[in-house]
Amino acid sequence: MSAAPAATPEAAAAIAAQAVSKAFGGVQALRTASFAARGGEVHALVGENGAGKSTLIKILGGRIPPDAGSLLLDGRPLRLAGTADAARHGIGTVFQELTLLPWMSVAENLLIGREPRSPVGLIRRSALPDEAEALLAGLGIHHIDPRALAAEVSLAERQIIEIARVIIRRPRILLLDEPTSSLVEREVAWLFARIRELSAAGTAVVFTSHRWNEITSIADRITIFRNGAEVGTYTEIAEDEAITLMAGRRVEALYPALPPVPANAPPVLELAEGSLNGAGELGFSLAAGEILGIGGLAGQGHRELFLGLFGAPPLRHGRIRVGGRVMRISSPADAIHAGLGIALVPEDRKSEGLLLPLSVRDNLTLPILARLSRLGVIRGAAERRMSREIISRLGVVTPSAAQPVGALSGGNQQKVLLGRWLLADSRILLLYDVTRGVDVATKHEIYELMTRLAGEGRAILFYSSDTEELAHLCHRVLVLRGGRIVATLTPPALDAEAIVAAAMREAERADAA
Amino acid sequence: MPPESSTVSDIRASGAHHSRRPRATHVVGQNIGLILAAAILLLSIIIFVGMFAIQQNRLPGNFEITSTVNNTMPLALAAIGQTIVVLTRGIDLSVGGVIDLTNALAAIYLAGSVAHMVLVAVLVVLVGAVAGLINGLLVGLGRLQPIVVTLATLSIFQGLAIRVLPQPGGTVPDGFTAFLVNTNAPFALFFLVLAALGWMALRRSRLGVDIFAIGNDEPAAIAHGVNVVRTKVLAYTIGGMLYALAGLFLAANATSGDATSGNVYTLTSIVATVLGGVSLFGGRGSAVGSICGAFITTMIVNILFYAHINPLYQSFYEGLFLVIAVVLGAAIGHLVRRGRA
Amino acid sequence: MLARLTPDVLRILAAYGAAVALFVIGALVHPGFASFPSVTSILLVASFVGLVAAGQCFVILIGGIDLSVPWVLNAAAILLATASLGQNARAFYAIALTLGMGALVGLVNGIFVVWFAVPAVVMTLAMNGVVEGLALGLSGGMTCAACASYAPPVVAAAVHGVFLGIPAALWLWLIVVLIVSFVLAFTRFGRATYAIGNNARAAFLAGVNVNLTTVFLYVLSGLFSALAGILLVGFGGQASLGMGDPYLFQSIAAVVIGGVSILGGRGNYLGAAAGAVSLTALVSVLLALNMPEYGRSIIYGVVILALLLLYGREQRE
Repeated sequence: MSAAPAATPEAAAAIAAQAVSKAFGGVQALRTASFAARGGEVHALVGENGAGKSTLIKILGGRIPPDAGSLLLDGRPLRLAGTADAARHGIGTVFQELTLLPWMSVAENLLIGREPRSPVGLIRRSALPDEAEALLAGLGIHHIDPRALAAEVSLAERQIIEIARVIIRRPRILLLDEPTSSLVEREVAWLFARIRELSAAGTAVVFTSHRWNEITSIADRITIFRNGAEVGTYTEIAEDEAITLMAGRRVEALYPALPPVPANAPPVLELAEGSLNGAGELGFSLAAGEILGIGGLAGQGHRELFLGLFGAPPLRHGRIRVGGRVMRISSPADAIHAGLGIALVPEDRKSEGLLLPLSVRDNLTLPILARLSRLGVIRGAAERRMSREIISRLGVVTPSAAQPVGALSGGNQQKVLLGRWLLADSRILLLYDVTRGVDVATKHEIYELMTRLAGEGRAILFYSSDTEELAHLCHRVLVLRGGRIVATLTPPALDAEAIVAAAMREAERADAA
Repeated sequence: MPPESSTVSDIRASGAHHSRRPRATHVVGQNIGLILAAAILLLSIIIFVGMFAIQQNRLPGNFEITSTVNNTMPLALAAIGQTIVVLTRGIDLSVGGVIDLTNALAAIYLAGSVAHMVLVAVLVVLVGAVAGLINGLLVGLGRLQPIVVTLATLSIFQGLAIRVLPQPGGTVPDGFTAFLVNTNAPFALFFLVLAALGWMALRRSRLGVDIFAIGNDEPAAIAHGVNVVRTKVLAYTIGGMLYALAGLFLAANATSGDATSGNVYTLTSIVATVLGGVSLFGGRGSAVGSICGAFITTMIVNILFYAHINPLYQSFYEGLFLVIAVVLGAAIGHLVRRGRA
Repeated sequence: MLARLTPDVLRILAAYGAAVALFVIGALVHPGFASFPSVTSILLVASFVGLVAAGQCFVILIGGIDLSVPWVLNAAAILLATASLGQNARAFYAIALTLGMGALVGLVNGIFVVWFAVPAVVMTLAMNGVVEGLALGLSGGMTCAACASYAPPVVAAAVHGVFLGIPAALWLWLIVVLIVSFVLAFTRFGRATYAIGNNARAAFLAGVNVNLTTVFLYVLSGLFSALAGILLVGFGGQASLGMGDPYLFQSIAAVVIGGVSILGGRGNYLGAAAGAVSLTALVSVLLALNMPEYGRSIIYGVVILALLLLYGREQRE
C-alpha cells in the first residue's frame, strides 16, 4: 500500500543532510538532496544505481565533503574532517567498496585504532587474535579465523568483518552501503538481528540495498532517490510503485521487445566439459541472435566464466568451440581474433575496461589497430572516420573524439566500451554487468542496442546483478551456483523470482532444515 | 514477520566442519620474507665459516666478528630507515646524500669533551631528521612521487655535504669511535639490538599501524581514519634520523670523513631491504628482515673474498645473487601460500 | 587550437620555456653564452643525455624504470673501444656488437620483469651490478691492452663531423627525436605503450600484447644506452671508468622535467628532449657563473623540485 510522503521533522533527526550537492568531474552525483534519519529507526535508502545513495553515505560518513549544503547531528550543524572525525561523533560506516587492509590479519583489521595496549602504551600484538575472537563471538560470529590475513578470507567473510568492525565501536549512527550484496540469506538474517539490537538501543541505522524483500522486512522508513535527489520518504510503499518512482518511468517501457532467435540459428559459442575451480561440469551453447543470461548470486563463478571465455586467464578445463570450430583461447588477443570474434565488456569499466586519461578515439580503436595500420603506422584518416561513425551511431555524448574518455558520464563511457567491439565487428559479445552505475535513460539505450545487435545475428552472453534485467532481456537464463549450472530458465518460466529462487534454493533448504 | 533474532544470532560457515589452520601455519605464511632472509643469512654464515675454517685452520674469531658487525652497522641502520619508507609504498633515494652530509658534519664538528660530542651527535641526527622531514613534506603534503622527490633531494644533500667537507678529511675522536664501534669486541651489536627494539616498539604503536595501513591500501587507510600526510612525513623523518645514525657509524668506522662515502648506501639499502623480504609495493615486511639483508650483503662480500673471486667481479656476483634471491623468494612464497590455500 | 592546450601539452611547453629562459639568463650573465657555437656545444652535450632519456622515457611511460643505464653505457663504451681497436675497418663490427650487447641486457631485464615478476627497480639495479662486474672483470679494471684504444675515426666523425654548420651527433639526435616521437604518436607500438602505462589490465583485455611490448621497451632502453656509450667514446676519444654514472640521474630527471609521469602513461619524448636541453643548459649557466660543484648540485636538485611542484603533482581522488 502506498502512503503520502511522511513528514520528516529534522529537529527530531539524529542525522540529517540538507540540500547537499556533490559533483565528480563533470557528473553531478547529488543535486540539493536532503535526507534525515531518527535515532532508533532503520531507514532504507533505495534508488537506481547512480541515484546518489553511495555519495550521500560517503558524505554522511565523513569520507568526502559536500560541495554545497549542510549536515546536522542532533539538529546541530556538523562538519566532518574525515572518517576518524565522524567516528568521534559516533558515526560508523560500512562503505560499499570494502576497505579491509589485505596484508594485515583479520584481528588487526577489526581492532585498528582500538588495539589492546600494554602499560607502557604499546599494542599487545599477541593479544589481538584472542580479543578479536571474543568480540566476534560476542556478535555471534564463530567461523572466521582472526589470525588469517584479510586477503585470505572469502568475500562474504570480508563483508562481515567490515560490518563487525563498525558495530563493535557502538556507533550512534550506523551507515551501511549495500552491506548484503555478497551475503547469503543466513548471513543477512544475522546482520538484521544485529541491526534490530542496535536500533532497539537507539542507534539510527541507514542502509541501502537492491533487494526489496530485505528492505520491507527491516526498514521502518524508506527514502527513494532518483537522479541525485530524494523523491520522497515513505513508511509503507508497494514494490511496483517504488520501482516506478526510482526509475521515473513505467518499468514495462524500460525493456524493449526481444526479437526471437531464428529456429535454424547456428551455435556460435559452445563450451563443453568446462569447470570452474574444479567444481562440477559446466557447458552451454549460445546461438547467433540469442541473448543468453547468466544469473545467480555474486561470487558463484560468473566472473571466472566470462574472463575464462576471453582467455584472461583461460579456463583450466573445457573445450571452446567458436562458430563450430574448436579454438584454443589463451589470451584476449586470441579471443578477439578467434573466428567470429569474441568481445568482453568487463565488470569494472574504470579499472578493466577503459583507459580513462586517453581519448575516446584511442579507446575505441585499440583492439583493431592491426587492421587500421600499415607497417605498424596507424592510418589516421581511416581511424578518425571509423571512430566518428561509431560515435554518431551509438549517440555517444562527447565534445569530440579527442576528449579523454574519463571526462564522459558513466553511460557514455559504457557506450564507448560497447562501440569498441562493434568497430571490431565481434559477433560474440560477453557483457558483464554493463548497466551497473548507469542512469536510467542510458540503460534504456543499452537495452535497445543489445536487442538490436541480437536482431542483427550477434550472440550475447549476459550477466547482470539486476535480476529484472536478466528476466526481461534474455531468451534463456542459466543460473550459476558454486560454479555449476543449477537451473536453465526459459519463458514462460523465466522471471526474476524464478532466477532468485534457483540461486537461493540450496541456502533456503539449509535454513529450513 | 522476520524471524526472531535469537534464532539467527549466530552464523557459521556453510558446512558444519570449518577447520582452522594451525597458528604456526599463519605465523610462517605471514612472515615468510623474514624467515627466508634469516635462512639465507644463516646459510651464508655457514658457508663463510666453512671457507674460513678450511683456509685459516681455525674458526672466525673476535676480530672477524667485530669487523663484520662494525662494517655492517651503517648499512643495517640505513636499511631500517629505507624499510620504514618502503612500507608506506615509497622509496628513498636520498639515503646516500643524507649519509654523506651527516658523515661530513660528524667529521668536522666531533671533538672535545664528551658533552660536546653528545651535543654534536644529537645535532647531526637532527640534521638527518630535517632532511627526512623535507622529503616527507614534499611526498605527503606536496603529493609528489617519492622516487623523483628523493632523487632531487639526493642531489641537494650531496651538494651540501661537499660544501661542508670539500676534501676527505676531518677527524673523529678516538673516544667516539670506541663508544660506537669498539674494535676489540662486537659491542656495536648492542646498538643493533636497540634499533631492533625500537622497530618493535614502532610496530606496536599507532604510527606503525598507520604506516602498514597506508602501504596496504592508501584509500582504505583513509577510510579507516589514518592521517596519510602526518604518517608519511613521520616515516620519512624517522628514515632521515636513521640515515644520520648510519652517517655517525660510518664516521666512527673510518675515523675521518668523506662527503662521498655515503653514496653507495642509496642502492645497498634498497638491496638489503629487498633481501630482507620487504615488499617494494609496501605494507609487508619487517626491519628485522632488512637487518638480516644488510648482514647477508656483508657476508657475500666476505664469501667472495675467501672464494678468491677477483674483486673486480664483485658487483657481478652481487647483482646475480640479488636476482636469484628475489626470484627464488617469490617462488617459495608462492608455494607456501598455495600450500595453505 | 586553444582546446589542445591540455595540461600535458603545457608541461612540454614549460620544459621548452625553461630551456629558452636558461639560454637568455646565460646570455645576460655571460655574453656569448647564446652564441651559435656555444649553443651547439651545449646541445651536443645534451644529446647524450637525450639519447639515454629516449630509452628511459620508453620504460617510464609504462610505469617502469631502468637503473642499469650507467653501466650499460659504460660497458658499451669499453666494448666499442676494445672491439674496434680504433680501426675504421673494425668499426661496423664493433658497433653492431655493442648495440647487440645493449639489446641483450635490455632483453634480460624485460624477461625478468615480465615473466619472473621482479620489480623493475630491483631487476635493473641488479643488472647494473652484473654489467658493472663483467665490464670491470673482463677489462681487468680497464688495464687491458685494448682498453686504451681510441674511438675509430668514423665514430669520432659521427660526433664531431659538421654538416650544414651543425655537429653530426646533433643531426643524429634530431633524427632520433623525430623517429621516437613519430613512433609514440602514430604507430600501434606507441599506442600500446601508452595503453599499458595507463592501465596494463585494461590494455590486456583490449587485446594488447602487454608482455611482448614491455620486453621490447626494455630492449630499446638498453639499445639507447649503448648508443649513447658509443657516441660518448666518439666524443671524448676514449672509454673511461665511471663515465656512465651521471646519466642515470640525468636521464630520469630529463624525462620527469619533460612532463612524463613517473607512474607511466602520460607525456612524450619531445618533452624529455626539452628536459635534457634544460638540464644541460642549467649546468652550463652555473658553470658560466663559476658556481662550484656543490652549488651546481644543490641548485640542480632545487630546480627539479621547483618544476615538479609546478606541474608534477598527483591528482587527489
